[in-house]
Amino acid sequence: MDLKGFGGQILVGAGLTLAVAALSLVFGLMIGGLGAAAKLSGRRTLRALADAYTTLVRGVPELLILLLLYFGGTVFLTWVAGEQVEVNGLGAGLFALSILCGAYTTEVLRAAVQGVPKGQIEAARALGMHRATIIRLVLLPQVWRLALPGLGNVWLVLLKDTSLISVVGLEELMRKSAIAAGATHQPFTFYAVAASVYLLFTIGSVLGISALERRARRGLARA
Amino acid sequence: MRLSLIAALLAATVGWQSQAHAQDKVRIATEGAYAPFNFKAPDGTLQGFDVDIAKALCEHAHLECTIVAQDWDGIIPGLLAKKYDAIVASMSITEERKKKVDFTDKYYQTPARFVEKKGANFTISKEGLKGKTIGAQRSTIHAQYLQDNYADVADIKLYDSQENADLDLTAGRLDLVLADSIVLLEGFLNKPDGKDFEFVGPELKDPKWFGEGAGIAVRPGDAKLKDALNKALAEIRKDGTYDKIDTKYFPFSIY
Repeated sequence: MDLKGFGGQILVGAGLTLAVAALSLVFGLMIGGLGAAAKLSGRRTLRALADAYTTLVRGVPELLILLLLYFGGTVFLTWVAGEQVEVNGLGAGLFALSILCGAYTTEVLRAAVQGVPKGQIEAARALGMHRATIIRLVLLPQVWRLALPGLGNVWLVLLKDTSLISVVGLEELMRKSAIAAGATHQPFTFYAVAASVYLLFTIGSVLGISALERRARRGLARA
Repeated sequence: MRLSLIAALLAATVGWQSQAHAQDKVRIATEGAYAPFNFKAPDGTLQGFDVDIAKALCEHAHLECTIVAQDWDGIIPGLLAKKYDAIVASMSITEERKKKVDFTDKYYQTPARFVEKKGANFTISKEGLKGKTIGAQRSTIHAQYLQDNYADVADIKLYDSQENADLDLTAGRLDLVLADSIVLLEGFLNKPDGKDFEFVGPELKDPKWFGEGAGIAVRPGDAKLKDALNKALAEIRKDGTYDKIDTKYFPFSIY
């Protein structure tokens, strides 16, 4: 298969895709943790805010969120700073993807926490454990196990959503393929190559997530 | 905590543009999808006639230039939003565009032409093109010409880039494409997938639609940059630099 010299650029784009997805996952997990805590908190306002956040983000198309943050972000930051400030593609992309990941992660983590049998928490409290210890020894290990399939799904969706940032000019895998396709007049070749790379990432991720899931269920009776 | 995190994230990746930047540093935008004038080479760099001319002008005007790629659809808004300071992307000087930007003198001028599949033998007239599907790049003089002259008889399809219009022509979704004759020749007809296609009809150069040649666009009122570029342009025309760049790409002068 003749990539007419664009192979190197495709690899560069693939690397950027992975980096952006990974960074967005990290920030998204942080946001998700806070969001889940808000949703499960006793305070009504916190719950309402978290609900609004997840509803908004899951209700608006991801491309639209990205465009709003890219163009709106420039306007907002310029107004705040008082002089021309520009949001570049990478910044807008990372921000948008983190927010997206955060919303989905909030739901996954909330469901996982609610999946831990309440009896265990009560027993731990009866044993006199502090709140922090309960979270560390009882809650988190099981939340991890319960959330893993959902989080794995979020990661895979995140990997594919990085392709959206190509519309604001970031030269990740999707955009590099489009540039090569246009320059060589061979769209099928390069889009097929891009698809294969995404597939490769996905297969690798699925294998990794399966391994993590197996380890998380160790000692558990066959469900 | 989340807010400060987001603020830090933004600050780290945002480019701070100072209002009064030193004239010595100039950012130039080009499209990167318009061979042989501007295109992306396999190694990821921007190359082409426009890019070489821009570099030569910067050298003669003692400016430190960076050349960036920008999609055609947003190229003028980007200039006005100060994402860059000049556009060297084979942009034709037209009255319509002069309302939004200032232009330097022209740095080349080439006619437009139609391209058809070999043997189709279309007649370039209202009757000859009735019911045909004609493609062109959006927001160009070619699109404007088609819309003013053939919109009532033919089906006009507009594309975000010339490359995509060429792709649809090879795929058979278009009967003809109207674009710059050099771009069609070097960027399409002389390439492997353009071998079944040919020019049809006369060269089109009516200034009413095809403007006064390609110029460099700068923000309205940016006289300092415009004059510096015009002066440099006159210099490279005189001392042979322009001809050297011209011969690198074309067997004839395109001025």
